[in-house]
Amino acid sequence: MGGVRGMVWPRFTQGALMVFRRDFLSWVKYYKSSVLLNFGEPLTNLLALGFGLGAYVTKMSGDPFVDFIGPGLLAVTAMNAVTFDMSFEAYDRLNENGIYLSMITAPLHPAEIVGGEYLWEACRSLLYGLVFLVVLLPLGIVHSWWALLLPLPLLVTGMLFAGPALWVATAAKNHEQLFYYFTLVVTPMFMFSGVFFPLAHLPVVIRDLILLTPLVHVVNLTRALILGQFPPTLWQDVLWIVGYTLLFMALPGRRLARRLTD
Amino acid sequence: MSRMTTNAPANSTVMSTETPTGASPLAVVSARGLTKRFGSFEAVAGIDFDVYEGECFGLLGPNGAGKSTTIRMICCLAALTAGSLTVLGEPAAPGQRTIKAQLGVVSQEDYLDPALTVRENIEIHGRFYGLSPEVATLRAAELLAFMQLEGKTHEQVRSLSGGMRRRLVIARALMGKPRLLVLDEPTTGLDPQARILVWRKLRELKAEGVTVLLTTHYMDEAQRLCDRLVIIDHGRILESGRPRELILRLVGAECLECPDIAPALVDGLMATLRPEDQAWHEWQSDSWVLFSPNLSSILDRWAAADLAPPLSYRRPTGLEDVFLRLTGRELRD
Repeated sequence: MGGVRGMVWPRFTQGALMVFRRDFLSWVKYYKSSVLLNFGEPLTNLLALGFGLGAYVTKMSGDPFVDFIGPGLLAVTAMNAVTFDMSFEAYDRLNENGIYLSMITAPLHPAEIVGGEYLWEACRSLLYGLVFLVVLLPLGIVHSWWALLLPLPLLVTGMLFAGPALWVATAAKNHEQLFYYFTLVVTPMFMFSGVFFPLAHLPVVIRDLILLTPLVHVVNLTRALILGQFPPTLWQDVLWIVGYTLLFMALPGRRLARRLTD
Repeated sequence: MSRMTTNAPANSTVMSTETPTGASPLAVVSARGLTKRFGSFEAVAGIDFDVYEGECFGLLGPNGAGKSTTIRMICCLAALTAGSLTVLGEPAAPGQRTIKAQLGVVSQEDYLDPALTVRENIEIHGRFYGLSPEVATLRAAELLAFMQLEGKTHEQVRSLSGGMRRRLVIARALMGKPRLLVLDEPTTGLDPQARILVWRKLRELKAEGVTVLLTTHYMDEAQRLCDRLVIIDHGRILESGRPRELILRLVGAECLECPDIAPALVDGLMATLRPEDQAWHEWQSDSWVLFSPNLSSILDRWAAADLAPPLSYRRPTGLEDVFLRLTGRELRD
């Protein structure tokens, strides 16, 4: 019955910029509570694990424990900032407060709404990632000038995790179903993506499975830039990140278009 | 409900198709055989109508009649299944930017951005229409004044009353200077004062030349606002015309309403009716209502036979009577 066929890729138009603007205006109103929400958890992890557990586990693959987990938690912070917004918030924009519905009455295409959300999530990832970097600085965790390049992977990371989360938001029938995404996808990725321990000693099958997920590659990249250590396989991580970002871009558009126009 | 004699007053007036101004009709919306199916359910079952430039056109019908689906197709928010639909000279379809740029849409729910202030809410909507920041700010101020919301400019939208929210949604729909303003049940849920203000504003907009298309199930609203209307049910058009003309044609100018009358007495009164009375009657809650172009002669006959009901009054008929006659009395959800 639907009129929407084929792929709907995000469109980065003037209209998309205005969707971005709405998100920004809305964020400015809420950023105090929202910052706490997004930092609370990784900061707790960093302090409790890094300095608590770190007192016993002093070295992790040659680095002080807190140096090892700090850059990984930065990647997680960026992922969470984007994932929360594109799942719970986007679900509300679609189903509760009608923000997407009123946007679509204006001359905006659903693909422009997705484009605007992508721009905003790239920004969020950058924003939350950089603030976390500022937290890492006085702790002496940032060891390399290469960290100045972090904005680039952070922007891409925002887009990488926006797609799947927005897809989940458009498919979910209620808030509970969004929790499944966190329980079954986000949290396991967080635990097993080399944030807390290196993957080197895991069985090969499990390690290969983990390498098929996106977060581990972001963790590898942020760690390399912050610690200034570049493993020879880093180019593969970059390829995975770019590949997944492009692949996931096609995910939410059509579903959103169908939900809004039929 | 019993409806024994159903001979309607058949003094049919031919429905005029001219515009309210009498000028050559320029159709802003033109639907031919417009159909929308959801699976096997036919929400809109092949309807034809035209909305002319500068008029206020009403889509009336009970819940589930197909009003909102029709509106969604006109607003390029849903694809049509069959037939044709031209809006502002272009075929309507989702993603039709040229149509949407000239439309203002007031949806049934007051969807406002809870994070933004009153002004920000409509300013950003203007930006979605491609307005520059300066124009958006200027127009937002104008429209807030027009909708009598200027005192609320910097308030959070959650602090607004229902009537204010609706006015804000209408102001928002006007940000793109629409040629056609489409409103889905614009006054549902509003208190009488708020409804009257919305009506006044819609009339002012019409006077400025904006074509207004609205759905409603309030007959008084349709009667006050609409130049022409269609009554739809089960996805089909039952009747169309000007409100006054529909009333005269379908129920006559007057009726006799008898509150709290004993059914036995009704039977006696009914027996006196003649075919040339072209009478029909129905129960509207506890009142028995008799419609006939011959009302005076019927009353004379009753007086002569000493049959007059204990309590009764003649009243002018309205669209509500037309509506109930056409769509029946069973409850819709």
